[in-house]
Amino acid sequence: MSTESTKRSVVVGIFVLLGIIILIAGIFVLGGQQKRFTSTVRLIALFKDVGGLKNGNNVWFSGVKIGTVKRISFVSNSQVEVDMNIEESSKQFIRKDASASISSDGLIGNKIVVIAGGTTSQPEVEDGDRLKTTEALSSDQIMATLQENNNNLLKVTNDFKELVGNLRRGKGTVGAVLTDSIVADNFKRAMVNLEKASDNTVRVTGSVAQFAAKLNTKGTLANELVTDTTVFRRLSRAATRFESTVTAADQSVATLRQTSINLNRASDKLNNTNSPLGILLTDKETATNLQVTLRNLSKGTELLNEDLKAAQSNFLLRGFFKKKAKAEAKQKADSTAAASPKP
Amino acid sequence: MQSDANKSQQATGRPVTTRKLDQFFLNLGDVAAFIGRFFREVFVPPYEFKEIIRQCYEVGYRSLLLISTTGFITGMVFTNQSRPSLSEFGATSWLPSLIAIAVVRALGPLVTALIAAGKVGSSIGAEIGSMNVTEQIDAMEVSGTNPFKFLVVSRVLATSFTIPLLTMYTIFVALIGAFLNVNANEQTSFTSYIQEVFGAITYLDIFSSVIKSIVFGFTIGMVGCYKGYHSSKGTEGVGKAANSSVVTAMFLVFIEELLSLQIVSAIRGS
Repeated sequence: MSTESTKRSVVVGIFVLLGIIILIAGIFVLGGQQKRFTSTVRLIALFKDVGGLKNGNNVWFSGVKIGTVKRISFVSNSQVEVDMNIEESSKQFIRKDASASISSDGLIGNKIVVIAGGTTSQPEVEDGDRLKTTEALSSDQIMATLQENNNNLLKVTNDFKELVGNLRRGKGTVGAVLTDSIVADNFKRAMVNLEKASDNTVRVTGSVAQFAAKLNTKGTLANELVTDTTVFRRLSRAATRFESTVTAADQSVATLRQTSINLNRASDKLNNTNSPLGILLTDKETATNLQVTLRNLSKGTELLNEDLKAAQSNFLLRGFFKKKAKAEAKQKADSTAAASPKP
Repeated sequence: MQSDANKSQQATGRPVTTRKLDQFFLNLGDVAAFIGRFFREVFVPPYEFKEIIRQCYEVGYRSLLLISTTGFITGMVFTNQSRPSLSEFGATSWLPSLIAIAVVRALGPLVTALIAAGKVGSSIGAEIGSMNVTEQIDAMEVSGTNPFKFLVVSRVLATSFTIPLLTMYTIFVALIGAFLNVNANEQTSFTSYIQEVFGAITYLDIFSSVIKSIVFGFTIGMVGCYKGYHSSKGTEGVGKAANSSVVTAMFLVFIEELLSLQIVSAIRGS
């Protein structure tokens, strides 16, 4: 019974010991993980927004965990002080001008404090040092920007929708091109014409090539024109002469222009009622008077004619007119005799 | 039924509800007195060390295999069942953290307590109940031995002490089981697994788990002893005591789990 009791006690002892070893091992591993048993230095950082950082969150430097957040407290209206415990062994790599920022250890991971930067010219941090901070983009800010992008995208899609709607309804040039059959036919014709033009261009290009070939063929006129300096000189002289001729023609034209101006002036004067000719040409009253005068003159002439016929019959003048008639008759007979051939 | 109630009312001169309420408060007072007596007796010599060690052997060592197996299976199954949810958004690398938190904070203590309530609670209830039925407790009193100290204090101390240890074993074995599963599926190395596991839990998790287990152990021991000590006479009473001690202990364990969750959350949040 005693042996049984002792055996039982030993078993219980081993059982208890193992249980306690598991507990102690767990505590130590956890302590080692959380750097509870390593000597640390305290660093402080002031943030405007810690974005949900909590006590015990990790502190990273160059992607390596070097400590944990010890305490978070408000210091003023919009400033939060974050106390961090940093391993003393890592202290030598962190410089006084290093900056701290709030970040996350994954897309949906825990918040962390990231210490970055620092120049080697600066001394290493010491216990109680205050690091400068960099405010990181919060998820709210990212979401706000994303929302703005969404709104822009919405506007763009709405505009595009409207554009496509207009195109479908045949509005605008492009819409007309897409929907109107006449425009389409025109377009087709334009394409056909373009094709023809293209063919013509090909032919023209061929001709140009031929011409160029002829230009290069010695003995031809074109080649001589291009290459023979004598021909060119002659052509140059001819051109000079032609130029002087053109200059003379220009002068003639200028003279003609002056004459024309003078004629215009004369014509203006004729049209003007102040000048005598103008009055004659344009004034109706003068014309009427002139007509009356001419009529009176015609009548006067008729009467004078009658008077003269009466005077011919007068005995005083009758002998004169008879002699005149005889002389005329004689002159006529002489001219007739002279004209007829002699037998 | 109505006539029965009337009859009982006539017999006692009080309604049934009032009598039941009275009974409830009487029981509650009895339980409080029982617990109070435990705390009075526990500090007063003589101390029954041999009996305590025997009970530790019975409660702890004898339950070790069962609890280890259960813990191992729990770790493996929980890992396997959690994988699809995490793999949906490609976060299977978080499995060790998830398992660590779940096992250390809740599953370890709870599974241990439930298994212990089933195995130990029932045995304590049946053992003390049968002693009560066979009047061995009365005989002990007559022979000058303090039956409460010998039977109740030793057992409650044994459960309060061994169940936290069993919880540690359960957590350890469950994490090993989970590691085998994670290693087989995600090829995670042991070092990486341990880093992930201990990166997720805190001292608060471990200590709350230990304290919770002590309370669970105390509850299981106390319920088993109380039910056995107050079992009705006859063989039926022994069965009832065993059954009732398991059901009540399990129920109380869940209630305590809920309360501890609130308390630990409050501490963690502050």
